[in-house]
Amino acid sequence: MVDERTILLVLPILVLQIALMIFALVDLIKNPDPNGPKWMWAAIIVLLNIIGPILYFVIGRRNY
Amino acid sequence: MKQFSTLLLKEWRENLRNYKIFWIPVVFILLGVTEPLSNYYLPQILDAAGGLPDGAVIELPDPEPEQLLVAVMGQFQLIGMLVLVLAYMGSIAGERKNGTATLLYVRPLSFTSYFLSKWLMASLVALISVWAGFLAGYYYTAVLFSAVPFGEFLSFAATYSIWMVLVVTLVLFASAAMPNAGLAAGLTLAALLILQLVDSLFGSRWEWSPLKLPNYAASFLDIGPDVTALVWTLAISLACLIGLAALGIWLSKRNRAKTKV
Repeated sequence: MVDERTILLVLPILVLQIALMIFALVDLIKNPDPNGPKWMWAAIIVLLNIIGPILYFVIGRRNY
Repeated sequence: MKQFSTLLLKEWRENLRNYKIFWIPVVFILLGVTEPLSNYYLPQILDAAGGLPDGAVIELPDPEPEQLLVAVMGQFQLIGMLVLVLAYMGSIAGERKNGTATLLYVRPLSFTSYFLSKWLMASLVALISVWAGFLAGYYYTAVLFSAVPFGEFLSFAATYSIWMVLVVTLVLFASAAMPNAGLAAGLTLAALLILQLVDSLFGSRWEWSPLKLPNYAASFLDIGPDVTALVWTLAISLACLIGLAALGIWLSKRNRAKTKV
């Protein structure tokens, strides 16, 4: 079904997505005062691919 | 000069610690990769999504690699620009609120160094993101379809970079001018939207406008832009950049009184 070529092509995207997720989660754990409950942001980051971490960094980080 | 390098170090650390220097390029790379990849798998995606009668044969013409790079640019123009604007909306307005400004402004601070250190760091992140994204898109297009001549690609990405630096300058100017980060982002996005609308409606009447930079960038992949028009556009863009930066420096100095203590 899924051939090797497809896996090789999609692998970088997967790695980048996971990297993005890890950046966001590490930041969330260190963040003393996120904009909303921590568990909610953790769920958003893990469940929404790509968009979740971006949402956290833009809205959840309270960097303004 | 010493002050500038100190402030630049502060900006560098800040961008490192809030992961901006990592996550913004990652977003751009994902945008750059997704476009050629989803085009490549379009037949399978259509197949899996269903709705087609059994035995229907989908034959799609291979997209031109140039079209794919222009589509990547379209993504940058929408999502990429939004991400950059939202990431840097608070660079000056936010510091007035979160207390960093009180620590900075009580010292004999050169606002030129202050503004330019922020501008340099934000532009650097924007440039890294744009180039990483375009290179990823270029690579995937070359592997899956065919390669665009590298020289054309370089002129395309370089012209587009200038537009992104201009956008970053506009965000920082808005951040200096506005009382809070939300309004800064609103002003930037409204300005970009209205100007782009005006340029697309009446733009055929003039050839020299910084808003045409993305169009000229895209035309490098095609027949190449009109050289005089491009040179004048670049000159006007540079003038806009210097003007916005000068206004931003002046406004950040004037608005220091708005700092929340």
